[in-house]
Amino acid sequence: MQGGTRKKFVQLARCANTLMAFDITLRMFRYRPGQAAHFETYAVTVPDAANVLDAIEQVWDKHDRDLMFRHACHHASCGTCAVRVNGREVLPCIAPVKNYLDGAKALTIEPLRNFSMVGDLLVDVAPLLQRQETAGLVITRPVENHLDGKPIASAQGLDPESVETVPFNRFEDCIECGICLSACPTMAASTKFFGPAGLAALKSQLDKTTDPTERARLLDLADDEQGVWRCHSAWECTETCPQNVRPAEAIMALRQAILARKFGFGK
Amino acid sequence: MNLSLPENKKIRFLRWFDFRSWRLGMLAYILNRVTAIGLVLYLYIHLAVLSMLTGGPAQWDPFVALARSPMFLALDVLLLAGMLIHGLNGVRVALTGFGIGVRAQKPMFVALMLVGAVLLLAGALKIFME
Repeated sequence: MQGGTRKKFVQLARCANTLMAFDITLRMFRYRPGQAAHFETYAVTVPDAANVLDAIEQVWDKHDRDLMFRHACHHASCGTCAVRVNGREVLPCIAPVKNYLDGAKALTIEPLRNFSMVGDLLVDVAPLLQRQETAGLVITRPVENHLDGKPIASAQGLDPESVETVPFNRFEDCIECGICLSACPTMAASTKFFGPAGLAALKSQLDKTTDPTERARLLDLADDEQGVWRCHSAWECTETCPQNVRPAEAIMALRQAILARKFGFGK
Repeated sequence: MNLSLPENKKIRFLRWFDFRSWRLGMLAYILNRVTAIGLVLYLYIHLAVLSMLTGGPAQWDPFVALARSPMFLALDVLLLAGMLIHGLNGVRVALTGFGIGVRAQKPMFVALMLVGAVLLLAGALKIFME
């Protein structure tokens, strides 16, 4: 594109963006350790197609650079930005502002529930990651291969012999966003409950292994006092999961697997 | 490994009553707990009332007269509602726990509550007409 044409195109795009922008009010949860939690209200202008994360970033950009929030990918892949919008858990990066506006054109943004608060919209997700690690399902793996089985590291000049060479395709749905733990009412009542994400991870791992020792370990974890029997079927985890992991169904399947093991039927 | 979630442990359950996040499953969850507490309270009240029998007709007959008053009969209908909600919701929880209807838990809840409403209506008519 020629320089002049490009400039005109950018100007036109900016003009269209301005014409299609609208004003909203964000009522943001603010908190710092040692201080009282409170809400602050910010007026921002966002494009017509803005997602909630865009509006949060506007607050950070235009109003308060001290705002603590977390995000990375902007497309529901990393799971880091999860918050509550108008009381419900969402990934704000894929939540259109217009879907959450009420008549007053205001959004209430709060951190996830059932986690320790770090500050503002930021919570400590370590307990979630601990559970995933206990289940043996962690997002970060030391080495993974391309889908054709070739090690990724070899293309980066590393010794191919030093990296894993077993073909491995990873299609985990869970992005460890913590939304299911926030939405789970049992999690609010029992701090040691293994939780929907952790139990779904157990089920996922159980499906992958035929090793009797590992299967026994996974089922023992699921059959624990804080395991599947703590779930009281609110199904909020499945309702809120942005990645269709369906943790509640995994919990019900684990119950069947535990019963099958105890009474010696099924697989 | 410490898997506890440390924040506001003692009052976190109050978040159950954040109505903004309620969906059908959460409503069923809350209803099950509220009716369970109500039924346990009823059990203790029932035992306390039965203890009045030890006082003979002088204590029992006035209570029976009270129990036939419309206000008391309305409480009987409330008790029946609690039993139906808790029992029928329990059927849903048990079925899904066995892997039956896990993808249909919401329609199942609605259907069971409709059955409960019909039974409650029939029960209320019987309570007030006898």
